Amino acid sequence: MSDTTVPVTVLTGYLGAGKTTLLNRILTENHGKKFAVVINEFGELGVDNDLVVDADEEVFEMNNGCICCTVRGDLIRILGGLMKRRDRFDGIIVETTGLADPAPVAQTFFVDEDVKRATRLDSIVTVVDAKHLSARLNDSSEAEEQIAFADLLVLNKMDLVSEEEAEAVERRIRAINPYAEIRRATKSDVPIEAVIGRDSFKLERILEREPEFLSGEDHHEHDSEVNSVSFEVSRPVDPEKFNAWMSDLLATKGQDLLRTKGILAYPGEDRRFAFQAVHMIADGDFIGPWKEGDARKSKIVFIGRDLNRPQLRRGFEACQVDS
Amino acid sequence: MSTAVSESDFLLAHRGVGQDLGAWVVGIAFGREGRSVGFALGDGTVRLAALADIRADWTVVEAHRGAVLAACADGKDGVLTGGDDGRLMRVAPDGTAVELAKYGSKWVEHVAAHESGIRAAAVAKAVHIVSAKGETEKSLAHPSSVGGLAFDAKGKRVAASHYNGASLWFVAAKEDKPRLLEWKGSHHAIAISPDGTHVVTAMQEQALHGWRLADGQHMRMSGYPTKTRSLSFTAKGKWLATSGAEAVVLWPFFGGGPMGKAPTELAGGDGVMCTAVACHPQHEVVAAGFEDGLVLLVEIGSGKVVPVAPPGRAPAGNGVSSLAWNPAGTHLAFGTEAGSAGLLDLAKR
Ligand SMILES: [Zn+2]
Repeated sequence: MSDTTVPVTVLTGYLGAGKTTLLNRILTENHGKKFAVVINEFGELGVDNDLVVDADEEVFEMNNGCICCTVRGDLIRILGGLMKRRDRFDGIIVETTGLADPAPVAQTFFVDEDVKRATRLDSIVTVVDAKHLSARLNDSSEAEEQIAFADLLVLNKMDLVSEEEAEAVERRIRAINPYAEIRRATKSDVPIEAVIGRDSFKLERILEREPEFLSGEDHHEHDSEVNSVSFEVSRPVDPEKFNAWMSDLLATKGQDLLRTKGILAYPGEDRRFAFQAVHMIADGDFIGPWKEGDARKSKIVFIGRDLNRPQLRRGFEACQVDS
Repeated sequence: MSTAVSESDFLLAHRGVGQDLGAWVVGIAFGREGRSVGFALGDGTVRLAALADIRADWTVVEAHRGAVLAACADGKDGVLTGGDDGRLMRVAPDGTAVELAKYGSKWVEHVAAHESGIRAAAVAKAVHIVSAKGETEKSLAHPSSVGGLAFDAKGKRVAASHYNGASLWFVAAKEDKPRLLEWKGSHHAIAISPDGTHVVTAMQEQALHGWRLADGQHMRMSGYPTKTRSLSFTAKGKWLATSGAEAVVLWPFFGGGPMGKAPTELAGGDGVMCTAVACHPQHEVVAAGFEDGLVLLVEIGSGKVVPVAPPGRAPAGNGVSSLAWNPAGTHLAFGTEAGSAGLLDLAKR
């Protein structure tokens, strides 16, 4: 199934961070691939491509009345339209405005049946300006959300900062999202293979990357509202207990949980169970077997606001089978 | 039934002709003049067939530079199309293509036309009303992108669905102010009942919503396993046929229904989703297309099924995307996402 779906890469980042420069770099590099590009109409620079679609960033609430359960109505329409001529491109790149919340974009790929059938979310790439990121983080929540959702962070404009400044910015990024890969860049000069075809949302690849900075209690950067916590348990996880706990958690705390990812060892099961959620919208399935000889430890990661670490830890630990 | 019938049991084998058009069949429209049918495709072309000789070569008309996104019968004759090249086009029965309007880089996603000659084209949040002469008369603004478009039977009103409801406009009004039909959520396909008393939309949430215009009474029609893409009232408006379930789901618009009434489900049982429906222009017969490429006719009163075209060979991605009858009810045409198409002559011989 996944072989016939078209990969979609989402580019986020503040105005002026270098998002459009990265987009044009991807489009003009000689890689033999054709892309359809969805841009917002207030884009900073022109985009040079055969197939460019204007988006209106229409964020629609779903009918459950919850403010975090949203999709991008324009994307549903545009992706549906593009599928009618899918032979003309190999992938789709969606550029969002600087103020966009990535959650509705990501949720669209989990919720809409037509979008799910024809496309897959490849990854969310966030371009940040090394010089101005700290100021952005202090004055807006969108910048935090864009970092929290990123699978790849392009730390751009490195020529404008010192090594110490760069390290300080990376520390702030990792406090919010230790699972994203950070690529330093000047004029968005990252290789296209690093950006396209990451398959970050594939369940098989959930938590494949080790965190670059395990934010233990002692490392907390308290100036960030969004941060991450992760836990590991060694006894197998009871699927019923886990489902009950997770459904309740997502229903009550989902608005604050930006991304949740987990790999679970079920009792008597040789395959790993992979799980991910964007706010309240969850997706999970069995993936490949545990490696021979590896400890079958279950892991879970939360990226979000006001995370109650002891409570989350107790909740996850209580999902284990009785010893 | 897919196992019990052979290829020759399908009407297509002896009453029709099949073609591989090589691109997504976005829409099919029979010209009101009664001579032609146009298959509008994802490759930007319209393939025109002559009803007098359905087996003759179909004409390839290069209508759009990208994909055709919408097609309907134009006012008097020929086919009206909208495309992702931002153009509203008219294809005459002789294959001549004329650009009626160009709306910049925005897509023309929905089109509608009435026999009086008036046309409507949905471009993002606007519905442009284009006269029989091809002049844009007015542009009607909506709060969000338009998801579906329909004229009423008299051509006096046009309905456009959007986020949180639908807008109903009097086309000839001096002052353009719509009647807003509100219901929370995202609305797509839209239909007006033949007598003009009801408006129904298909929603993102696998349900339909309806409004009885006389008193604004809401109607919720839910229980679909997938999104409904296709809505079609029977000729006299007694039934609303819909896609989106493992059967043709028909809602009764009589005897107080559809409120408090269960829908009738026909031609189900194979576990395959119905993806397109088209009611016969006179009789209580529905043509239905399924996810696997199967096309059939079902008589509403008896539930009797007549197979039209067999399921496609490709296991997936060949769902029926379009179905249409000619106004006389003698010809039926269908097309799939993978580009197979069929045209049948069902006139009594
Ligand atoms: Zn929610």
